[in-house]
Amino acid sequence: MALMTSLPTKPTPHVQGRSRVGRISLDRLRERGAISLFLLPITAVLVLLFLIPLAQSVYYSFTDYDGYSANADFIGLRNYKSAFTDSSMVGSLTFTTVYAIGTTLVITVLAIPLAVILNRRFAGRGFVKSVFFFPAVPSVALLGLVWVFILNPLGSGVVNSVLHAIAGSGPVPWLSQDRLAQLSVLGVGVWAGTGWHATIYLAYLQSIPAEYYEAATIDGASPMQMFRSITLPLLTPAMTVSTLLLLTAGLKVFDLPFTLTKGGPGFATHTITQSIIENGIAQGRVGQASALAVLFLIVVGLVVLAQLFIARRLEGRYS
Amino acid sequence: MKRSWNITFGRRRLQAIGLGIAVAVAATSLAACGGGTSSGDGSGTVSFFSWDNQQTMQPLLDEFQKENPTIKVDFSWAPPVSQYISTLQTRLRSNTAADVFIITAENKVQIMNGKLAKDLSKEPFIQNIAQSAKDTYTKDGAIYGAATSSWGGGILYNKDLLAKVGFTQAPRTWDEFLSLCHKLKDAGITPFLEAADGIPVTVAALVGLQNQQLGGTMDAQIWAGKESFSNTWTQPLTMWEQLFSQGIETRSAAGLTGDQVTQEFEKGTVAMTATGSWALGSISKAAPNLNLGFMAVPGQSGTYWAGAVAPGYAINAKTEHPAAAEKFVTFLQSKTAVEMAQKASGAITTTADYTPTIDPALSDMVSAVRAGEFYLPQSSWLTNSDALDTEATALLQQLAQGKASPQQVASGLDTKLKSLNG
Repeated sequence: MALMTSLPTKPTPHVQGRSRVGRISLDRLRERGAISLFLLPITAVLVLLFLIPLAQSVYYSFTDYDGYSANADFIGLRNYKSAFTDSSMVGSLTFTTVYAIGTTLVITVLAIPLAVILNRRFAGRGFVKSVFFFPAVPSVALLGLVWVFILNPLGSGVVNSVLHAIAGSGPVPWLSQDRLAQLSVLGVGVWAGTGWHATIYLAYLQSIPAEYYEAATIDGASPMQMFRSITLPLLTPAMTVSTLLLLTAGLKVFDLPFTLTKGGPGFATHTITQSIIENGIAQGRVGQASALAVLFLIVVGLVVLAQLFIARRLEGRYS
Repeated sequence: MKRSWNITFGRRRLQAIGLGIAVAVAATSLAACGGGTSSGDGSGTVSFFSWDNQQTMQPLLDEFQKENPTIKVDFSWAPPVSQYISTLQTRLRSNTAADVFIITAENKVQIMNGKLAKDLSKEPFIQNIAQSAKDTYTKDGAIYGAATSSWGGGILYNKDLLAKVGFTQAPRTWDEFLSLCHKLKDAGITPFLEAADGIPVTVAALVGLQNQQLGGTMDAQIWAGKESFSNTWTQPLTMWEQLFSQGIETRSAAGLTGDQVTQEFEKGTVAMTATGSWALGSISKAAPNLNLGFMAVPGQSGTYWAGAVAPGYAINAKTEHPAAAEKFVTFLQSKTAVEMAQKASGAITTTADYTPTIDPALSDMVSAVRAGEFYLPQSSWLTNSDALDTEATALLQQLAQGKASPQQVASGLDTKLKSLNG
């Protein structure tokens, strides 16, 4: 009532506007300053731990730097040339590509149905989820050491003992024959990763509204039709995330093949990361290792860009 | 009014927190490792970086502290091999390496070429170490490391299993060895098993015989271009390959680890394996009932041992505490320290003033090892030993699988050496 009878004094619009604008811009400035300060630590981390080492790697890749001496002579593209003629590189490139693509495809094919099953209600679901997620908990290197014992190619190996007891078969050279060693590494990689990636799909599955399935059921859709027309399209964002993680992890894989086979037999399970580490650290050829790392970065960048391009197109088609 | 204060306080707090984090990150980034101190008489702190762990080194450190109460040892370690090598590499490059560290077969070339360790040739204790130890860490007359022990490698055998086929004395030739293996096989005993996860001891010893025939200059000649791996390695590799082609050893050896082979041997199911003297202690402990013997690897012209000089102690060329570092390395070479280390590890020490008491199973090996009569390619190669080791291991695994011939393996090493020398 008081407000109705006595109107507040109206300040001059021009003065009020200028003061407000000034205050707003000052507030924004402060806000931006605070945001910048918050970004500073991560920027420092990015510069210190990524950009500077990357620049150093590019520089060293054109030198004969051995990691010890302060002297590093410029040798042009020699490191890049030898990267393509190194005997281990061909094997490394082949196996790394096979591993990255193989684990991505197999884990995706297994993780989606697994997530669909785990999304249903059944007795002991929590326990089953834990069992499938468990391989993601210990370090992959530790898993590798355990699987060395399990896949021991002698008759005393766990798998070979079981096979002998069941089928009376002789020892299978799991880690001693090229193709079997590659399949063994791939198999352990799939075993270790499927549960974790099923969890990603499970999270997305739980966000799909139940009404979609109810409507499809009323329309007479079969479970397979519902999976193909509702579940799979709505899982494409999850597939983007999962396959990106799988591809990048697969391309830079080191710990699992190294603990399982040390890259052997021969160079059958040798990986690019192993070549980089062996060259740079053990063999004191930092220049050579840097050239490999630069080439590897480019390859990984291209693969990831291609994967994102395809995934985005799929998402666009289904959304 | 209250709301306005809250907003202002919130922003200030936000800015303060951000600033605090930024300062903390900057401070952390700029933090540097502190070094020890010492005076000219050697008192103060000396830092020591090893690949033996604290538990192994502590008795020696305690003894040193007892004898030198004014010097404190700042001990650190990293497990062998790659982790130790990479840590030392980083520390040497950033001038934060310890005053004393160990020089090994894997990093000696870089350390000696870069003169990153002090020349110890004038130190009094150098007179006490074996000639083979001096040779291993010498370049252009300067000695960069002082090793107190060596290890030998040969064929470790189960006396009880060999007795079942009438074994009385160690074979003197390769053919006798193959004959013994066949007898064991015919008796239903696994005759021989050796992992190919590195250059096998058997191959090293057989190549060592070739080196002996060339007056110990085989690798020098290969590096000088006067000899080749094809000429010198093909024959030993042909002999080694007979183990697989004659069914004496399973081709699965290509994918076995040393630990897996040791476990099989400890079970008493394998008559012979090839390993180093360092393995004897753990095998005897794990399988105390095994009656063990060690024999040299027989070749065509006699027998030979694989083996190498152990890592040596080196003083950082840029140490700020040279007197304390010298005192510490001198102590490590002393009779007291060598005896303590030997009793703890069972190593074959090679210093002149101490004769070790060794496991009887090693009795045939000890005199040869103390005389430096052994060979290990990785230690003998003049440059790029680790790169060649990786290549040789991969090629030997292919040979064991039957996917490569001895000639292909040997010429593969020539190709690798050529590419490394660019």
